[in-house]
Amino acid sequence: MSVHQAGTTSSVERVDLTPMPSEVPQVQELGTTSAPLKSAAFFIGAYCKEYNEDFMLCKNESREPGHCLKEGRRVTRCAQDLITKMRENCLSQFNDHWNCLEKNNQEYYLCRKPERTLNACMFEKLGLTKTIPGGGLQGQQVHEKANPIFKAMQK
Amino acid sequence: MPVPWEALIPFGLLTAMFGTAGTLLNASQRFQNLGKPPRYNLDKWEESMLERDRRLTGHKRGQSIEPVAPEAFSVNTIIRGYRP
Repeated sequence: MSVHQAGTTSSVERVDLTPMPSEVPQVQELGTTSAPLKSAAFFIGAYCKEYNEDFMLCKNESREPGHCLKEGRRVTRCAQDLITKMRENCLSQFNDHWNCLEKNNQEYYLCRKPERTLNACMFEKLGLTKTIPGGGLQGQQVHEKANPIFKAMQK
Repeated sequence: MPVPWEALIPFGLLTAMFGTAGTLLNASQRFQNLGKPPRYNLDKWEESMLERDRRLTGHKRGQSIEPVAPEAFSVNTIIRGYRP
């Protein structure tokens, strides 16, 4: 058995270039990648709360893909709006935070210092606060803790 | 008495070999990850996000903060089929 044996099942990768049907209203997709999105996540939650909740309730009714397109468009547009505002107002703090996240496996607890500056800027310029719904095990907001247990090894 | 410097050669060799191996490994990983440390402990969600990043920027560790995606993004999902 030193000759390569092709398996009985073969997987093919295809790209389907068919666009959406023309009767579905068009929305431009969100162009933010994972690290900036994770950095902005709690602010998207605060800013777009109603649209996100609408979408989740709609999905709860039916998981069919075509059922929640309208709510989905609203969610996308709200997130795009917030990203634009963040870039206008807090660009350097935003960039600092998501660059820190990218270097640290996208863990929040390793990037508290840039996060604090970003939270301060967002509160001052846009009035948005990062709140963890329900808090931690003791109900606290772990990002506001003065001496956390889980932290970076070096100061 | 003169210092037995020949006895320290193995220590030097070990340090050099471990150091070179570690440095080359780190350099290779950083090169593959666009100068950043590699990602670890990735679950299905994280892998899906990495695939989305690849579709948006061309490299799975590429990042962008554009609010609007490029035109090709809406149709460049890879669909995997299995042919029995």
